[in-house]
Amino acid sequence: MTDVGRHPRIELMTLSEVVDVQGYIGNFRVKVLRKARYVDEKECTACGDCLEDCPVTKPNEFDLGLSTRKAIYQPFPQAVPAAFALNMEECLGNNPIACGKCLEKCEKECIDYDMQDKEVEIKVGTIIVATGMDVYDPTELDEFGYTRFENVVTSLEFERLINAGGPTEGHLIRPTDWQLPKRVAFIQCIGSRSEKRGNPYCSNVCCMNTIKDSLLIKNHWPEVEIKVFYMDIRAFGKGFEDLYKRSKAEGVMYIRGIPGDIREDQETKNLFLLAEDSNTGKVMEHEVDMVILSIGLIPSTENSLIRQLLTLSRTSDGFFMEAHPKLQPVDAPTKGVFFAGCAESPKDIKDSVTQASASASRANILMSAGKFTVEAITSLINEELCKACGLCARVCPYHAIEFDKEKKLPARVIEASCAGCGTCGAECAFDAVVMRHFTDQQILGQVEAILEENPQDKVVVFACNWCSYAGADYAGVSRLQYPPSIRIIRTMCSGRVDEKFVLHAFKLGAPIVLVSGCHFADCHYINANRWTQKRVEKLWDKLEKKGIRPERLQLEWISAAEGLKFAKVMKEMEELRQGVTLEEIDYTRKEL
Amino acid sequence: MAEEANFKCLRCGHQFKAPFSPKDEPQERACPECGSNSVRRIKEKAKKK
Amino acid sequence: MAIERSESDELRIGVFICYCGLNISGTVDCEAVAEYAQGLKDVVAASTNRYTCSEPGQQEIKNDIKEHNLNRVVVASCSPRMHEPTFRVACQEVGLNPYLLEMVNLREHCSWVHMHEPEKATEKAKEMVKMGVARARFLQPQIEKEVPVDRSTMVIGGGIAGIQASLDLANAGYQVYLVEKKPSIGGVMAQIDKTFPTMDCSI
Repeated sequence: MTDVGRHPRIELMTLSEVVDVQGYIGNFRVKVLRKARYVDEKECTACGDCLEDCPVTKPNEFDLGLSTRKAIYQPFPQAVPAAFALNMEECLGNNPIACGKCLEKCEKECIDYDMQDKEVEIKVGTIIVATGMDVYDPTELDEFGYTRFENVVTSLEFERLINAGGPTEGHLIRPTDWQLPKRVAFIQCIGSRSEKRGNPYCSNVCCMNTIKDSLLIKNHWPEVEIKVFYMDIRAFGKGFEDLYKRSKAEGVMYIRGIPGDIREDQETKNLFLLAEDSNTGKVMEHEVDMVILSIGLIPSTENSLIRQLLTLSRTSDGFFMEAHPKLQPVDAPTKGVFFAGCAESPKDIKDSVTQASASASRANILMSAGKFTVEAITSLINEELCKACGLCARVCPYHAIEFDKEKKLPARVIEASCAGCGTCGAECAFDAVVMRHFTDQQILGQVEAILEENPQDKVVVFACNWCSYAGADYAGVSRLQYPPSIRIIRTMCSGRVDEKFVLHAFKLGAPIVLVSGCHFADCHYINANRWTQKRVEKLWDKLEKKGIRPERLQLEWISAAEGLKFAKVMKEMEELRQGVTLEEIDYTRKEL
Repeated sequence: MAEEANFKCLRCGHQFKAPFSPKDEPQERACPECGSNSVRRIKEKAKKK
Repeated sequence: MAIERSESDELRIGVFICYCGLNISGTVDCEAVAEYAQGLKDVVAASTNRYTCSEPGQQEIKNDIKEHNLNRVVVASCSPRMHEPTFRVACQEVGLNPYLLEMVNLREHCSWVHMHEPEKATEKAKEMVKMGVARARFLQPQIEKEVPVDRSTMVIGGGIAGIQASLDLANAGYQVYLVEKKPSIGGVMAQIDKTFPTMDCSI
């Protein structure tokens, strides 16, 4: 931490928030709001003279309210920068009648009540999002009595209680009588792995944190009896299993089953846990002096603003979504932006450091090159045809299209941000989007070539480059035979498949059209294939209205590994084709 | 109670019910009979008297 | 359409049919396909090669581009996912924009999947080449532009991850701006006593 404070190339901006981001990869302009500290960061030596006379006493956030601080304070002794900060909302103010005492005390005259917030604009090439996480608040899980019983604490509160620098100077005490608890219970998965309350995901760190805490207690106070109530112990990392074994060897009892209820003895303030041990099937009541709720991690509240500013997405757990879960795990979908730490998913310190170094390395690749080659296959807007409806901007998974709702100016593609999926081109109803290298003309040209002769004998298949086209390749490599009526047209993404391509094919006499793309989880363009599905659904309605069987338009998600599925689906397409009559085709041609 | 909707497979014709809410994010669907992704939601006809 | 080929632009398309040893020619009558391609509109040269991706095969493309003044190239061989980069480079080496190349996937999408129906496969191959030529007619040169990347970074959040990323990048020589909402960096890590698996101090 101190290395950061004194590094000549790190400008540390504390009490600061990002309020606006403009630009694109390599060329971001970030506005940062630097809130006033009211203490000169460079001059303050953290001597503490100012504290003595400050009449305001507030709960100390760093100790989670287990201790107090003044209105002028240092968040914790090792803080970087090592300067005090004044919370102006709590301060009585520089009014000679009210207060102003700290001002008098500070010999170096570091305190300035008139300091102002200021906004600065900074130009950077890359951005690393390391906004971290918050911890789960167990209040809603009332059966554990977090708000009702004083001797029920969270695992983070417990960290402060056994920390030598914490409010008790490292003496483990229970809150009601300040005595060393003789019997301690940990309850795991608080707010994690639950579909009903809290979050469905595993928070990753809590098992090991409890094992660590149990060892800390045993090291200092071997006589303390420890029971850990758990669903599964997940000790998968390097050295983790050893710690788990050590903890068991030290006598920590692991009981498989989460208590359904906690009751308090009003006199002794002891707690009674009723739990079934699912290994033995026995229901037992356990009396303990103190309960520690092993709380899970949740996405940081800060994430929503950063998400908007950097046009990022979330996965269903609320954490940031990577550009690809396996192959680009630290890249954000927005180019030039990377993730480090718990912003992307709950992780322990080692994994956070690993990911931070990985993201630094990814950013380094861009910055050491000093330039970035933009995808050549990008879209382009014909300003004359653009009606400024904004649909293209809405469907772009990369937010690469600038569009001003109020001014009604033609949309504009930020080429450096465009990945070339072509979803905008499929969405535009006015042909104002030109998708380079996969233009309407190029694709319609292929459709026409297929259907010029004997259209009734062919099946038109649109396949996305990354999954279904690759799936077709895999069928080929595996020599899986399918009917020769299949004609494949490649697009980069199934999201490129415009309604008019499909309708044109039907108009020219195609009996069956198949639109195929990646499975939802695999979409190479974040989520562009959601629009494919919506478009196909709309087309089904449209066809039905015109008296054309919607069954003639088929949809299939085929991955690059599903050669078997590709061949199977092609056989099904041929069967469907044989069911389409010439009368039907004639009718369709007239209707469209 | 989770909302449900009727779906029809445009490959094999199988009709089935599945959880669905217009508020949900779009999701990948497959026919429980034939596995096809050509699954169409059958919209309720507006009730008229 | 914004990009429209001007009518004066004479199309000169070259079609190269690959045997891929017997991989394609074992099922598809490549000579018949080449003959068919020769008859397509705007095609000025059509030929076959045992292995188009080999050095001599590529050389033949390059020679033909120069000799016939080709401005579009259609290679009917294997998957573009395999050899598109190869043939793009070949085009570029003789001054043809690499995006004026179109590939037709005769191997993975035809000969290998219709091995027992050589006649139908040959008919399909012809039509696939026709599709490729149809697309090639509308291909336009594309340019891979470059944008400069500023050698500075902003790290949002000063917890353990933000600290590590900042130090790594600052030590690599870049200017780092570390933005933290609170009065001190350290994040949740600083609140934790000892850390697993080493059981040492967090700060």
